[in-house]
Amino acid sequence: MNIGSISRLTLALGLSAVALSLITLVGLPTPLQTIAAIAVLVLLPGQALARLTQVTDIALGALLVLALGLAALTVVSTAMFYLAVWSWQACVVSMGVITVLACMARARQEATT
Amino acid sequence: MTGTLEATTRTKERWKSREAWCALAGVVSLALAVGAASTVTAPVDNDLGLVAVLPYPFWAGVLILNVAFVVALRGDAAGPARRPVMIWLVVVLVLVLFGTAAFVTDIPRGEIAFRHLGIADALSHTQGIDPDIDGYFNWPGFFALLSTVLRATGLDPVALALWAPVLNMGLWLAALAVLTGYLTRDPRRRYLALWLFCLGNWQDQDYLSPQAFGFFLHLVVIALLLGPLAARAPQFRGFRRADLAAWWRGRSPAEPRPGYRVGALVITLLLITVIVASHQLTPFMLLIGVTALTLSGRVWPSRLPLITIVVLTLWLAYPASAYLLGHPPLADAGLEAATEANVLDRVRGTDGHVLVVQVRALLTLVLWGLAAAGAWRDWRRGRLDIRVVLLAVTPLLLFPAQVYGGEMLIRVSLFALPFIALQACSVLLPTDGSKLSTVGSKLPADGSKRRSYLAADDSKRRSYLAAGGLALTCVLLAVLTVTGRFGNARYDVFTHDEIDAVAAMQRLAPPGSAIISAAHPTPWRSEAYLDHRSRTIEDLCRSDLSTARCGPLVYDYARRSTAGAVLLITRSSEASLVLQGVRGAGGFSELEKWLGAQNGVELVFSNVDARVYRVTP
Repeated sequence: MNIGSISRLTLALGLSAVALSLITLVGLPTPLQTIAAIAVLVLLPGQALARLTQVTDIALGALLVLALGLAALTVVSTAMFYLAVWSWQACVVSMGVITVLACMARARQEATT
Repeated sequence: MTGTLEATTRTKERWKSREAWCALAGVVSLALAVGAASTVTAPVDNDLGLVAVLPYPFWAGVLILNVAFVVALRGDAAGPARRPVMIWLVVVLVLVLFGTAAFVTDIPRGEIAFRHLGIADALSHTQGIDPDIDGYFNWPGFFALLSTVLRATGLDPVALALWAPVLNMGLWLAALAVLTGYLTRDPRRRYLALWLFCLGNWQDQDYLSPQAFGFFLHLVVIALLLGPLAARAPQFRGFRRADLAAWWRGRSPAEPRPGYRVGALVITLLLITVIVASHQLTPFMLLIGVTALTLSGRVWPSRLPLITIVVLTLWLAYPASAYLLGHPPLADAGLEAATEANVLDRVRGTDGHVLVVQVRALLTLVLWGLAAAGAWRDWRRGRLDIRVVLLAVTPLLLFPAQVYGGEMLIRVSLFALPFIALQACSVLLPTDGSKLSTVGSKLPADGSKRRSYLAADDSKRRSYLAAGGLALTCVLLAVLTVTGRFGNARYDVFTHDEIDAVAAMQRLAPPGSAIISAAHPTPWRSEAYLDHRSRTIEDLCRSDLSTARCGPLVYDYARRSTAGAVLLITRSSEASLVLQGVRGAGGFSELEKWLGAQNGVELVFSNVDARVYRVTP
C-alpha cells in the first residue's frame, strides 16, 4: 500500500482517534473530557465508518456520522454488558480501535483507486 | 412562472435586510420566551398546566417567531430565505417549545427520565445484564449506551435529562430534514414540514428514553430506504398475477452505484439491530413501514422485511425471552381494549385535565385533517406520493395490536407525524410554492399595463392572505402544542422540596427495604435502582384508595418487608391522582393520619411539598 495515496483526512481521523482515546483515558477537566469523549466515542468512529460508504450527499453523510457513531457505541456497550466485561475505558479503547480499523479499510480503498 | 424569474438587485438588497429582520425576530422571540418562562415558579398550581401560567411575553415571542418564519418562508420568487436564517428559526422554535420546562426549572420533568438514569447507573455498577430484573433489562441497548456516555464524558446525568428533549428534537429534525429531501425538492415544503413537525409534537416522547433514541434511528433507516436504497417502480397495471409479476420485475434501483447500495444496506441492518435491542415497540413500527414501502415497489432490497422479522424474532426468542414469558405480546390485543385504554380511560379527571386531553386530540385531528385535505389535493393534481401516504397511515395498524399501557395512540401519532406534517404542507402551501411570495416578480413590459397591474394586485392580495392564513395556523398550533405538551405540569414539574424528600428517602431506606410512593409521578430511583423493591399506593390499592381499605394494605405491605420500608408522599403524586380523577381534593391527609397512628410508623422527614415515613418491620 502506498502511504502517499492515503488522504490527509483518513490519516487525521486515525491519529485523532488514537490521541483522543489516550487523552480520554487519562482524564481531563469536565468540559474538555466531555468533548474528547463524545469525539472519540461517537463522532470519530461515525465519520470513519460513514467514509467507508460512497455517500456523496453532505446532509446524509453528516446524519450517518451521528447515527453510525451512536449505533456502533450501542453495539459495543451492549455486547460488553452481555459478556460481563464492560467498563467505560474498555468502550473508549474499542471505539478507538474501530475508528483506526475503519481508517485502514478506507486507506486500502484510497490506495486501490 | 414566477419561480423562473430572477430578483432584481434592488429586491435582493431589500431581501437581505428582510432576512436580517427575520433572524433578529428569532433572537427577540427567544429572549421573550426564555425571559417569560424563567419567571414561572414551580409548583405549577393549575390544572391546565404551563399554558395557564406562562406570562404574555412568552406568547408574544411565539407570535413573533411564527410570523418571522412565514415571512422567511415566503422569501422571494427565487425561494425562501437563505438556509442559515431558516435553520436559526427552527432552532429557536425547538428551544421555545421543547426547552420551555428547562427555563422554568432545573429539574427534569416527569418520573421516567429519573428511572432511566437509575437503570443506566445500575448497569454500570453490576457490569452485566440480568434479564429477570424487569423489562428494561430485556432491551438494554439504549441504557448500555447511556451508561457508557455518562461515565466516559463525566456529564451531569440530571442536566442531560433536563435538556434531552431539545437534543432529541435536534436529532429527529436532522433526520427529518434529510428524509424530506428525498420526498420533495421544494425547499418551502421541507422547511414547513419541519416546522409543523415541531408544532404537532405534543406527544412528549422526547425525554431521555429508549423510544426517543429508537425514533431517531427509525427516521434514519427510512431516509436510507427513500435515498440510496430506493427503487423506481414501473407504472402499475393491475392486480392480475402476470401484471404484478411484470411490475415487480420491472423495478430498478434509483442509486446506480452498487457499492453505495451495499454500504447503505449494511448500515440499515446495523441500525435495525440496534433498534431491536433498544426498544420494544419501535422495531414493529419500523417493520410495518419497511414492509409497506417494499410492497409499494419503492425499496430495492426486497428481502429487508424478512431480515427485519428474523432479527426481531431472534431477539424476542433469546435476550427478551425472560420478559415475554410473563407478558405475552398479544395478551391485551383488540380494537375495543385499545380504544378503552387509549381514549376512554384518558378522558377523565378534573375539568382542566379533560380540556388538556381534548386539546391533544384536537391538535392531532387538525393535523390529520390538513394532511387528508393535502392528500386529496395532490391526488386530484396527479402528484400524490404514495410513500408519504403509506408512512403516515401504516403506524395505525399497530393500534389494535397492543394496549401498550394506554400509550399506543400517542406512539402511533408520533410515528405518523413526520409524514402527516409533510402531507399537510400540500394544503397549507399554494400548489406552486413560489406563489406564496410575489416579491421579485416582474410585470410584463408590453401593453395592457392596467390589466397587468390589476392581476398583480390580485396576486399580491392572495399571497398576503395565504401567508396570513399560514401564520395564523402556525400560531394556533403552537398554542395547542404548548397546552397539550405541558398540560400535566401540575404533577410532572417537580419542586426542589420534592427532590430533597426523595434524597432523604433514598438516604433513610436501608438496602433491601421497600420504598413506597403515593403515585407514579415521583422523581425517584435514579440511584440504587436495584437496592429496593418499589411500589406505589396506587398500585397496591388499585381502584379503592379509601383509607379504610387502602391503609391496612399499605401498612401490611410495609411491615412485611424484613428490611423495613420508607413511605414518601409528595405534592406532585397527590396532584396527579386528583387531576386524573382517581382521588378527591383531600389527597392522602386522612391516610397519613391513620398510618401515623400505627405501631412502628414515624415521620422522619417533612417539608412544604413532601413527607417521608419510616415503617419498621
